[in-house]
Amino acid sequence: MTAIGLAPRWARRLTYWGLNLLTYAVVALMVAPVLWLVASSFQSDSRLANGTYDFLDPTFGAFREMWSTVDFEHYFMNSIVICSIAALLATAFASSAGYALARFRFRGADTFGLAVIGTQLIPGSMFLLPIFLGFVWLKQNTAFALYDTRLGMILVYTAFFTPVAIFLMRAFFAAIPRELEEAALVDGCTRFGAFVRVVLPNAAPGIVATYVYAFLFAWDELLFAANLTQERAETIPIGIRTFIGNYQQEYAQLMAAGVISTIPVMVAFFLTQRWLVRGLTAGAVKG
Amino acid sequence: MSESVVTEGLPVPASSRRTRLLRSWRRNRFAYALIAPAVVFMVLVHLIPTAAGIYVAFLDLNLFTFALLFHAPRVGLQNFQDLLFDAENPIRSGFTGAVENTIFYTVVTVGVTLVLGIAIAQLLNRNFPGQRLARTLMLAPWVVPSFVVAVLWQFMWQSDSGIINKVLVDYTHILDDKPVWLLGENTMWAIIIPTIWRGLPFVVLIFLAGLQTIPKELYEAAAIDGAGAWRRFRHITLPLMKPLIAIQLLFGVIWSVYQFAVPYVMFGVNPPPDADLLMTLIVRQSFTNQLFGYGAAISVMLMLVMFAWVVVWYRIFRRDLVTA
Repeated sequence: MTAIGLAPRWARRLTYWGLNLLTYAVVALMVAPVLWLVASSFQSDSRLANGTYDFLDPTFGAFREMWSTVDFEHYFMNSIVICSIAALLATAFASSAGYALARFRFRGADTFGLAVIGTQLIPGSMFLLPIFLGFVWLKQNTAFALYDTRLGMILVYTAFFTPVAIFLMRAFFAAIPRELEEAALVDGCTRFGAFVRVVLPNAAPGIVATYVYAFLFAWDELLFAANLTQERAETIPIGIRTFIGNYQQEYAQLMAAGVISTIPVMVAFFLTQRWLVRGLTAGAVKG
Repeated sequence: MSESVVTEGLPVPASSRRTRLLRSWRRNRFAYALIAPAVVFMVLVHLIPTAAGIYVAFLDLNLFTFALLFHAPRVGLQNFQDLLFDAENPIRSGFTGAVENTIFYTVVTVGVTLVLGIAIAQLLNRNFPGQRLARTLMLAPWVVPSFVVAVLWQFMWQSDSGIINKVLVDYTHILDDKPVWLLGENTMWAIIIPTIWRGLPFVVLIFLAGLQTIPKELYEAAAIDGAGAWRRFRHITLPLMKPLIAIQLLFGVIWSVYQFAVPYVMFGVNPPPDADLLMTLIVRQSFTNQLFGYGAAISVMLMLVMFAWVVVWYRIFRRDLVTA
C-alpha cells in the first residue's frame, strides 16, 4: 500500500512510522480493558472501591473468595457441560446438513436454506415464552424434565447454534474438491462411507472452527439461561448477574469471576486459533 | 448431485405426481437423512414455539389470565393498537423510547464498527514490526464473553473510582469534571462503546482476510497511473470489499437490534430510560410485569421489521453478492 516512488524518501518514512504508531496505539487501546480486567482481579475489593490501586502488590484473595461468595463452581460446571455438549451436537448436525446443502440439489433445499437464515431473524423473546411453557408443561405432566435441567439447556442451545454452524460448514464442504468423494465412490464406498471417511477428515479444520464458534456463542447466551433455569442448571452469566445484584461493591471478586469465565473461551480460542481464523475467514471471504 | 442433474434433464415420463414425488424422495433420501436432525431441532425449538409466540401476540395474556394460557381471551389487534396508537397507555411511552434507543444504538454501533473495522484492517494489512503479534492482540476483546464485557465496563465507568474517569480527568486532564456514565443520557454511550469494542475484532478479522485476497498488482498499476491513496481506496479496495461489508452490515444490524446481554448485565432488568433497548423492554414486560401479550406483540413487530430489513438489504446488495 505504500506509495511508489512519488513522494520523497523522508516523507514516506514519516508516513510509515506515523501509521505504525497509530497501529500500536489502536492495539493498545483494544487490549487495555482486558489487561485492566486481569490486573484489578489481583487487587482487594476496598482498594478498587477507593480507586487506590497498587499493581506492584497483587493479592490472590479475590480468586479465593469468589468461589464461596456465590457458588461459582456450580455455575461454572453447568456452563462447561451444557456448552461443550451443545456445541458438539450443533457441529454434528451442522456437518451433515451443511454437507447436504453443499453437495446435493434436492427438493426443498432452497426452502431449507432460507429457513436456516430465517431462524436468525426471530427475536429470542418470540419463542422464549412458548419454550418456557412447554418445559413447565413437560415437567408437570411427564417424567421428561427439561425445565431447569442441563438436558433442557443442551437441547435449546443445540437448536440455537445449529443454523450458524450450518453456514460455516457448508462453506467448508463447498471448498473441498468433489473428486475426492467420486474417487471413494468408485472404490466402492457408500455415499455415507465417503462422507464419513473421506469428506469429514478433510473438513477437520472447519469442524474445529465451527465447534469453537458454537461454543463461544453458547458460553455467551444469557436470555434463555435466565428464564429456563432456576437453581440447578444456571450457567455463568446468571452467576455473574447474581454477583452484581448482591455483592455490587466486591469488584475484585467480580473481576476475578470475569477472568475465570473468560479462561475456557480463551483456551479454546488459542488452541484452535489457526483453524478458527482460517475457517471463519474462508467462509466469510467466499461468501 | 451428478445423478440428480442427469435425471432432471431427461423428459419426465407421463406419470402421476405421486410417483414423481416418490422418485424424488428416493433419489434424495441421503440428503434428507443428512438434514433430518437439524430440521427436527429447528421445528421443535424455532418453528412451533415461534408460531405459538405469534399467537400469544393476539391474546390478552397477563398475570390475571396466565392460568388460562392459550385459552386467554383473544383480542385481535388490540395489543398492537395499544402499543402504536394509544397515547393513554403507559406502556406506549416506554415502547417508543425503546424504539428510538434501539435505532440510535444500532446505527451508531454498526456504523462505527464498519468504518473503524475497515480502517484498522488497512492499518494491520501493512508490513510493520510486530505485525503478527498486533493481529493476534487485536482479537483479544472478542474472546471476552459479552456478560464479562458488561461487568468490566460497568466497573470502568464508575464515576469516582473508575479507571476511565481517572484517565480522562486525573491523569490526562482531557476533561475538567468527572462525567457520570451510569446515569442519565450517558448511559446510552455506556452500552454503545463496549459493544463496539467487543464487535470490532471480528469485523477487522474478516476485512483483513478480504484485503489479503486483493492482488497487490492492482494497487501498483493504479499508483503508476497516478491514483493517490484515497482514490485507490475508493476505486479498488471499497468495490472489492463490498460483498464482505454487505454481510457484516446485514448481521451487524440484526445482532445490534437483538442486543440484550450488555444493557441487562450492566443495569439489570430495569435499565435507565436512555439505555433501555427493545429486548430489555420485551423481557421486562413479559417476564417481570407478566404482560405476555404486549411482549409478544412487540416481538412480532420487531420480527417483521427484521424481515423487511433483510429484503431491503437483499435488493441493495443483490448484484454484489453474485460476484462474490
